[in-house]
Amino acid sequence: MNARSHLVIATLVAFCFWSSHTLATPWQNLTSQQLETKLEQKFSEGQYSSKGADSCLMCHKKSDTVTAIFDGVHGQTNNSKSPMAGLQCEACHGPQGKHNRGGKEPMISFGKNSKLSASAQNSVCQGCHNDPKQMAWHTSTHNLEEIACADCHTVHSANAPALDKLTVNDTCTSCHTKEKADMNKRSSHPMKWNQMTCVDCHAPHGSMNESALMQPTVNDTCNSCHTEKRGPFLWEHAPVTENCVSCHNPHGSVNDNMLEHRVPQLCQQCHAPDGHASRVVPKPGMDAFGGAKSCLNCHSQIHGSNHPSGSLLQR
Amino acid sequence: MSFKLNMITLAMTLAATPAMAANFSVGNANTDAVNFSQYECKRCTQTQGYTGEVSVNAGYNSVDDIHAGNALGTAEDSTISAISGDLHYQNEEGYQAKLQTHLLGMDNGFARFSAGKSGVYSINLDYDSIKTYQAGNIESPFWHNNGMLTVSDTMRVLDLAQQREKIGLGVELKQDLLDSRFIANASFSQEDKTGHKSSSLVAPNPINFGLPVDARTKQLDADINISGDNWLAALAYQGSYYENKITHISLPHLYDVQAATPDNQAHLVSLSGQYQLNHTVMSGRLASGRMIQDEDLITVSDSPLQSWDGQVDTLDGRFAISTMFTHRLRLGASFAYSDRDNHSSTTEFTQYNYNSVTGTFRQNKPQDITRHTYKLSANYRIASGYRLQTGYDRKAVARTFTDREQTHDDSLWMKLNVRAFDKFNVSIKGEHANRSGSEYEASKETSSENNTLLRKYYLADRKRNAVELNINHMPNNWISVDLSTRYANDDYHNTQIGLTEAQDYGYNFNVNLQFSKFLSAYGFGAQQWINSNQAGSQSYGAADWQADVEDQFIHLGAGLNYGGLMQDKLNLGLDYSFSNSISDTYPTGSDTGELYDDYYSYHHSTSAYANYAIDEQMALKLTYRYERYFDTDAATVGVNDIPGMITLGDINHNYNAHQVMLSFTYKLH
Repeated sequence: MNARSHLVIATLVAFCFWSSHTLATPWQNLTSQQLETKLEQKFSEGQYSSKGADSCLMCHKKSDTVTAIFDGVHGQTNNSKSPMAGLQCEACHGPQGKHNRGGKEPMISFGKNSKLSASAQNSVCQGCHNDPKQMAWHTSTHNLEEIACADCHTVHSANAPALDKLTVNDTCTSCHTKEKADMNKRSSHPMKWNQMTCVDCHAPHGSMNESALMQPTVNDTCNSCHTEKRGPFLWEHAPVTENCVSCHNPHGSVNDNMLEHRVPQLCQQCHAPDGHASRVVPKPGMDAFGGAKSCLNCHSQIHGSNHPSGSLLQR
Repeated sequence: MSFKLNMITLAMTLAATPAMAANFSVGNANTDAVNFSQYECKRCTQTQGYTGEVSVNAGYNSVDDIHAGNALGTAEDSTISAISGDLHYQNEEGYQAKLQTHLLGMDNGFARFSAGKSGVYSINLDYDSIKTYQAGNIESPFWHNNGMLTVSDTMRVLDLAQQREKIGLGVELKQDLLDSRFIANASFSQEDKTGHKSSSLVAPNPINFGLPVDARTKQLDADINISGDNWLAALAYQGSYYENKITHISLPHLYDVQAATPDNQAHLVSLSGQYQLNHTVMSGRLASGRMIQDEDLITVSDSPLQSWDGQVDTLDGRFAISTMFTHRLRLGASFAYSDRDNHSSTTEFTQYNYNSVTGTFRQNKPQDITRHTYKLSANYRIASGYRLQTGYDRKAVARTFTDREQTHDDSLWMKLNVRAFDKFNVSIKGEHANRSGSEYEASKETSSENNTLLRKYYLADRKRNAVELNINHMPNNWISVDLSTRYANDDYHNTQIGLTEAQDYGYNFNVNLQFSKFLSAYGFGAQQWINSNQAGSQSYGAADWQADVEDQFIHLGAGLNYGGLMQDKLNLGLDYSFSNSISDTYPTGSDTGELYDDYYSYHHSTSAYANYAIDEQMALKLTYRYERYFDTDAATVGVNDIPGMITLGDINHNYNAHQVMLSFTYKLH
């Protein structure tokens, strides 16, 4: 190998190193549609590299982010379902084509800096991840909002934040900022300390249930942990039976017990008899109607009673 | 020319729509020219063996109020210790294992273990402990002794706190057969919940007391899933069994004054599936459930039943279709059905006459509820970066034994997403919703008790208007700003007694800054206001009092992380957040009424840490946490402050808590 060859190789290596460390890619000026058209053309031509991952790592090996693929399941060569056991890097990033000749030709890229549409990005993931967790993806809010898999999931990593109990709430609340604030209200589920997670109740890939809940109804979801409130009870409280969120806000409240309103006002929004429940409580803490638990001082079995004489939810 | 287009032909038309969006799935790859025998991975750095890290944590808690244990992981006011870790193992044959532990040894911690062969099978073993502290050192003259609530000569002291400890075992098997993929899961978990919670009974004066909690919930789940290239099917079972070990409550002079929470169980079998044809996806699910509660009833005079047969059958179904009608237009529709059929036995039971309105006998009324939900949506890409969504939702609910047997909520919404700008993403959403239904009539069961002008808020006619704006701005590659703001107004326009109106509005912002490779910072803020008005009548006629409730919430925070110090060995960080929840109640109107005494809480939370890498394998981390918490509720008073009743005393909080923790981490490579 002569000096000229060394120079060419050194230049190529330097260029590859430069291109893998600069934020602006040569195809940054392409519109989203132009980029997608170009990548579709490359994909149909199928000009895959001759040596698979080695062809890519020749330039990209110095990136810790790139090589972190080998720390996770997507980098396993001994798992027939892993991309690294098949077309390797190009299984997800598409055929190399002329990308290695100067790095000017685009590859399929993922994440918030990618100009590729979410549906195009997601088609890569869904090519393999056609499993029951994705059963309701296509009709899910996240799909309609064009959320890309890579917006939440990190593939080049041993620990994916979206799959870790200690970090999944951060993943969700990076977009759901109101719910992040709600966790810090006077009462809330223990989310801010990661003792509970968003995915305990919600299915981020969508579900067959309202609000992408994990269970068929709101009450089924609440009762999956609060099993003591499931009943059925001999004496039911109608709004409790119908919907827990009639009175509670599960994301948090400025009131205790995640109540939408405090007692007695909450109860008086539905109970106006010719009796004590219609009284205005002018001041809290003065008597049994406005002190301590207010209405629940007597009607403590508010979620249902199993006492034969418990029709007033007192017993 | 007549052209008849029914739903079937429409669905077929949609299904036959040719591919219009990019599909880069590996199954579609053109691999004709690929010679896999040439594929190498000499540069692949396959991780084999053990990796990860183990941390041993030791420190000191300074806690005056056990409520601080919610934030600090334990309420111990002493030295504390715990183990955390994240270990991975994998070998060349594809076997792998993972163990994650977090603060194991403290009241709030967990462990996750999974092992198996990738893509073939796995087993997992989980442990979770969650302890929730409400208040400590509660004084009460009543103490619970195996169901008997006994009066003590001196004040007894207890903590209101509940701990959940859960263990779980699961197995997953995966198998390819012909062109299908089979996945089978089975899991069992058992959760014990123990502690004390605040409760109350009436005998006939109200008594607040600490009710022991000792219950177990077992959960058994199993499912089998089959999937092909463009379809999925799943058959699943969920079983839940609740067992309460606390008996009925008695007083020395009054036996079985309060019934214990009854044992119960719930079962659910579901069949679900999805089918994709070109760019049309259909999914559906049918779930049949049964809830059972047949505990023995407390014996009371003239009670016709010794035990009660409580049984509720549920049926839930859903069908949804989504299609890319053209390359710009996506259409979606769904229908859901949910039925709660209460088969529980009914009879008349003797009622104690504490309330003069109540008759001597009363019949239990098992409620049936049926819901139908319809949704239509369209998602149209106006131009590159401009997308308009619109939809119509209708939820119809029918219920028995209630003031209004049928209600229907109709909602029309529209949302515009703009991503056409390099540095801005903007979305704006508007919604108009209306609830109406059958004639509101106090049913026979309730008409004798309630004012006929009352409209219960969850059944009442309501008009809702809401708007929401979200902006994401990335002026350069080191700063991003998110701002969202929203406003919603609920008008219960036909209500004279009850909740009449409510507004909910606020904003949130987030700023993330990446100053350099080593220095990053963030800040966030949120404010929310919820105002509502309700009316009541002491004269059992027209409204003669009002209550305005004005809630406010603010949440602020900031933090930074500075790494790369001392030759990349030292990393410093600081996190701070503040929240303040306020609820003001004006009982007779904001102009003339007297404001209720204080009801608010605030919370400062600070964490500072220094992480020092001794070498490539060992690190030391020193963390200091400070929690300042205050809450007050004017309704909480001393044990005997209200004549004729016993309370649990002042359970408001006002404390400073500190935690210092030193962690030694050993990394495996």
